[in-house]
Amino acid sequence: MGAIAQMLAKLEDENLIAEVEKQLSEGVNPLAIFKECQEGMVEVGNMFSSGEYFVSDLMMAGAIFKQVGEIVVPLLGEENTGKVGKVVMGTVKGDIHDIGKDLVIALLNAANFEVVDLGVDVEPGAFIEALEANPDAKILGLSCLLTTAYDAMKETVEAVKKAGLNDRVKIMIGGGSLDQSVVDYTGADRFGMDAQDAVNIAKELM
Amino acid sequence: MMPSKLYLERLEKIKKTIALENDKPMTSYLGPATPAAYMGVTMAEYVNDLDKNLDVALAYLNAINERTSVDSLNSGALGVKVNVLLAGLWLSRVKMPGRELPENSLWQVEEKKVMQDEDYDLVIEKGYDALVQKIFPQIIDMNELQEFTIYMEKNGANNVKKIIDNDYPIINSGAAAPPFEMLCGARSMTHFFMDCYKKPDKVRAAIEAMLPRMIENMIGAVKGANGMGTWVGGWRGASAMVAPKIWDEFVWPPMYKMGMACIENGIVPTLHLDQNWDRDIARFREFPAKSIIINTDGLTDLRNARKVLGDHAAFMGDVPPQLLSTGTPQQVKNYVKNLIDDIGPQGLFISSGCDAPANAKFENMVAMFEAANEWS
Repeated sequence: MGAIAQMLAKLEDENLIAEVEKQLSEGVNPLAIFKECQEGMVEVGNMFSSGEYFVSDLMMAGAIFKQVGEIVVPLLGEENTGKVGKVVMGTVKGDIHDIGKDLVIALLNAANFEVVDLGVDVEPGAFIEALEANPDAKILGLSCLLTTAYDAMKETVEAVKKAGLNDRVKIMIGGGSLDQSVVDYTGADRFGMDAQDAVNIAKELM
Repeated sequence: MMPSKLYLERLEKIKKTIALENDKPMTSYLGPATPAAYMGVTMAEYVNDLDKNLDVALAYLNAINERTSVDSLNSGALGVKVNVLLAGLWLSRVKMPGRELPENSLWQVEEKKVMQDEDYDLVIEKGYDALVQKIFPQIIDMNELQEFTIYMEKNGANNVKKIIDNDYPIINSGAAAPPFEMLCGARSMTHFFMDCYKKPDKVRAAIEAMLPRMIENMIGAVKGANGMGTWVGGWRGASAMVAPKIWDEFVWPPMYKMGMACIENGIVPTLHLDQNWDRDIARFREFPAKSIIINTDGLTDLRNARKVLGDHAAFMGDVPPQLLSTGTPQQVKNYVKNLIDDIGPQGLFISSGCDAPANAKFENMVAMFEAANEWS
């Protein structure tokens, strides 16, 4: 791992920003810097999965990655960052919680997914419109914290099937109180135990 | 009027369970939103009409109790304004059904930064009260707060009497959130977690400035209600949520001090722990033996906790909310039976993991308590 990836993995935000600015001033390719940041995020994900890092560390890493992205991404121009896929995400109707959803989006972005974020309290119809407007989206991510929102998840899954999108789109769900029983109840394809698990599942579903 | 024989028997059983001297598991109810749908009342009516809230909740409890014994109430927060209660715990605005949310929606906490960067200096220099005075008008209608205060002065004691008259002892008469949780609510989780990394000195000083008054308020509230215990809650400070360096400095020491202050004042702290606390569960051994209740939500491994803590503490929990919402009565019974078989009945309160959800099936609630009461 290069210096940038290591600093990100160690959550050394100030050192990292200084290093990024130094490398840019020395003419290092912004895409190479961006890819090294992604490498650092992969390491953060691995450390989370192995129990060395916790949710607060993921949030910190996501914030640092975003900060670097604000510097580097505008410099990428037409260069291809090699997006691995597109995901439509939102918190389902009746639920306004967004922390879990936003953390998953931050990690998906870092893993080079393009994410269409529909926000919170999203009607099933709005998910369908977004999937139709983004024919290259192969994954729908549904989030909820409330058990009372399971029905909205189920309704959304049914709407996807009714719209004939279920051949193209796989549905992953996540949130506070979820397990396989909620997958069975809603008809979704998979559930993520945590934000890193959601990224792993998204990769598998592509 | 003296409490009934049944009430006194249940009260005695609570004490024995905390001391791990009980033979059979105790049952304890926690479900502030659960009665509304089953009793045919809109959520808006249920949470905004406090007299109705108490009556409907008691009718629901009695409907379960006709089938199988509900030995105790985890929380006495019936007939209270949930948005006022939660705003006071977390310094966050709570959106309410029939107001900001549809009639039958559950109330929901708004995740928004209401404590600004400079407010750290306010609380450090002028204390907890100054912070609350600045934040409260942003998160609650002060007229509603005043109306609720007047309601409680007029009706609070009578409402507790009604609960006692229905033979339900209340384990927790109060609810307190340690400073970590309150700052997390006021700053919003993302900002506050960043604060813990980026400005730990400010976080440390704010916690030190807040804690004495928060302890004073917590003890005063329970003594004022002549209560047995209080929640000392942990939600976002869970081991699975924060790095060890944050937990060791900002989560555990204030939580421990609050718990110890309860114990020193003859109050039983119920450590209400949402999310997963496995990493740090051994730290709860620092409390005196048989003086606390550890109340978990299904994500902390109680089997491991019993191995680690032995007979040091009573447990309360931990039927997962999704099981109560989507499972069958037999699945719920299996879960409860397996839990009791595995960790034993001593020092065990069978309850929902955190609140029973608003859409918990009535038959599942009955099954949860039946499994505990029928266990042998």
